[in-house]
Amino acid sequence: MAQNLVRLAAKRILSIPQRSISVTAIRKQDVALTQEERDRIYPRIGDRDVVGYGFNGTASYMDREEMPFPAIRFKENTDDVLALRELEKGDWSNMTIEEKKALYRSSYRLTFAEMFAPTGEWKAVFAAFMVCLGVTGWIVIFMKKFVYSPYPETITPEYQQKNLERMIAQRQGIVEGVASKWDYENNRWKK
Amino acid sequence: MFRSIAQRLGATATTVVRSNIQRTTPVVCTVRHGHGKKETDEEVDARYEALFNNPELDGWMFRKACNDLQGMDMVPEPRIIVSALKAARRLNDYSLTTRYLEAVKAKCGNRLDVIWPYILQEIRPTLDELGISTPEELGFDKPELAVEDVQDIH
Repeated sequence: MAQNLVRLAAKRILSIPQRSISVTAIRKQDVALTQEERDRIYPRIGDRDVVGYGFNGTASYMDREEMPFPAIRFKENTDDVLALRELEKGDWSNMTIEEKKALYRSSYRLTFAEMFAPTGEWKAVFAAFMVCLGVTGWIVIFMKKFVYSPYPETITPEYQQKNLERMIAQRQGIVEGVASKWDYENNRWKK
Repeated sequence: MFRSIAQRLGATATTVVRSNIQRTTPVVCTVRHGHGKKETDEEVDARYEALFNNPELDGWMFRKACNDLQGMDMVPEPRIIVSALKAARRLNDYSLTTRYLEAVKAKCGNRLDVIWPYILQEIRPTLDELGISTPEELGFDKPELAVEDVQDIH
């Protein structure tokens, strides 16, 4: 019961309000937080702006394809980032490509292309699988060499030949079986 | 003997069934919709366009609306995208535009080569007017930074 309470309390710590109407704030932000919320959230996220609801109301950052806009910006509000924000207020045609990219990177960690980029993890998985197959092979060799008893003599072709001759001599299966296919007058298989 | 017993049992069964049917009260049939009225595509488009065109839109609502749009099983109409770009301009936030364009691109799925040029062609006037670069022009269509997946950091 105490554990559940602790868990509930921990969940409340990072959550931001469901809906905040923008009013004048200390720093220009889209989301206005009360002082109590600010005390709760900011020690954990540093100097970053809270900008939205995010995925579940907590002030967290995550790159997700299905929710492209997380609750907080990615980078802290350092001087160069703030300078870029000033630049943003003017005409966007005046911004260079590098500035636009820097602005994007200040708000987001990965682009969509980077989110979907292949990781090459399949090579590691395939390698591990082959190693396991190799270990299995060694175990098979060990079993054959040291554990299983040798084959019985009944397996050799000579023994089976002698066995077949005995079956024919004993007339085994004379109606529909082996001996019915043997031609006893001419000492050979029936045509 | 068994026949008489069976007949008596049958009689009681039918009386029980009949009395149950008589006791059933008529129920008013309510129409069930699951989650409420279904909107037509046109209504959804108009609603989001109006939302983005609202001059009192703030960053919170913009992001919430875009997240919701991303969750819907559709590629947004160019007019929604245009109104979203204009809203981002009003909010003075450039990275929103690039992020949203990338998100729309992601929504196109495996029909990217059919849908994306059409969308670009439709929103090109707005892009030029506001000075927004497409993700391709920024070089964001190829991965630029390689980062370790957070799940792999031990």
